[in-house]
Amino acid sequence: MPKSFVLRAGERGHDVIYSDGSASSYVAGHPGSHITRESSFNFHQYQGGRPGFGTVRVFGDEVFSGAGCGYNMHPHHNFIICAFVLEGELTHINTAGQGMVDQLRQGDYYVFSAGSGGKHCELSISPENMNAIYLWLMPGQLFLPPSYHRAHFDIRTRRNRIAQLVGDADGALPVSQDLRVSRLVTDRAGGFTYTPRTPEHGVYVFVAEGSATVNEVALGRRDSLGISGVETLAIEAADSSDIFFVETAMLDDARIRAWEKAHGADLLD
Amino acid sequence: MDAPLKRWLCLGCGFSYDESLGLPEHGLAPGTRWADIPDDWVCPDCGTPKNQFEMVEMGYAEAGVDQARIA
Ligand SMILES: [Zn+2]
Repeated sequence: MPKSFVLRAGERGHDVIYSDGSASSYVAGHPGSHITRESSFNFHQYQGGRPGFGTVRVFGDEVFSGAGCGYNMHPHHNFIICAFVLEGELTHINTAGQGMVDQLRQGDYYVFSAGSGGKHCELSISPENMNAIYLWLMPGQLFLPPSYHRAHFDIRTRRNRIAQLVGDADGALPVSQDLRVSRLVTDRAGGFTYTPRTPEHGVYVFVAEGSATVNEVALGRRDSLGISGVETLAIEAADSSDIFFVETAMLDDARIRAWEKAHGADLLD
Repeated sequence: MDAPLKRWLCLGCGFSYDESLGLPEHGLAPGTRWADIPDDWVCPDCGTPKNQFEMVEMGYAEAGVDQARIA
């Protein structure tokens, strides 16, 4: 049975966290630097929305503003954390494996599996804003060996088709979860079909730029759609659009089920 | 019969609490049930409140349980 919800850009959780004051140990940067976080699902202070979607617990659209802004070194376990840089430059210091300092620019992305424990620090060093999409996934097992992989999505050569960035396809970054992340960047209007592995898989569609109609639902910039129980998604994308597809196994999650029950059919078509 | 021991994951950072292991260095003996931990308890790694943990039915990766004992 198809199930879906639509989340408009302005309906997401909205948090602004400053580098001075109470969050100064958490957020780096010159005084006045700040992180703007739009959360599709409940995360930290924002607890007014959906608890997640399938294996996805965090889908954050974040902007680091001001020189040196970002997150100071902090620990993680278990979660698989992915970042996709849309603009600006992200300097990422990570202790996984031998540890590394990585610099990611537009089109670059990483998959950090925190597993048995890792620390990282993420900064936008220059005064230019850095915008990234953050995705946190439940792992398949607890305490996996920590790992870090990164890759580049070439917006110039991979236009007008749905390209898999994370998952089991050739060239995609591997992930220890039943999950795929794909991306469609267009420079002309066109029709596309997305076919999940099975109809039981859910797909979270996020329009980073431009606009699209997905299974007859019109989505504007930063709008999103979660859908499961369908064979295919029919996408009509506008010119100059940038669309993410997060396909996930739909866990039978008590927390999500309870939330959906409490919020009735109004958010589930 | 006793309910099986469960595992909980911090939604702020991924820290896991395993009822069978407890957190002896934080005063929670092995076998301490999640329900018996005070409501004002927070994640030792990130300060996230207890009500923002999620129960998970997940096994450990190879050698993971030994690392969890000393995490
Ligand atoms: Zn935590």
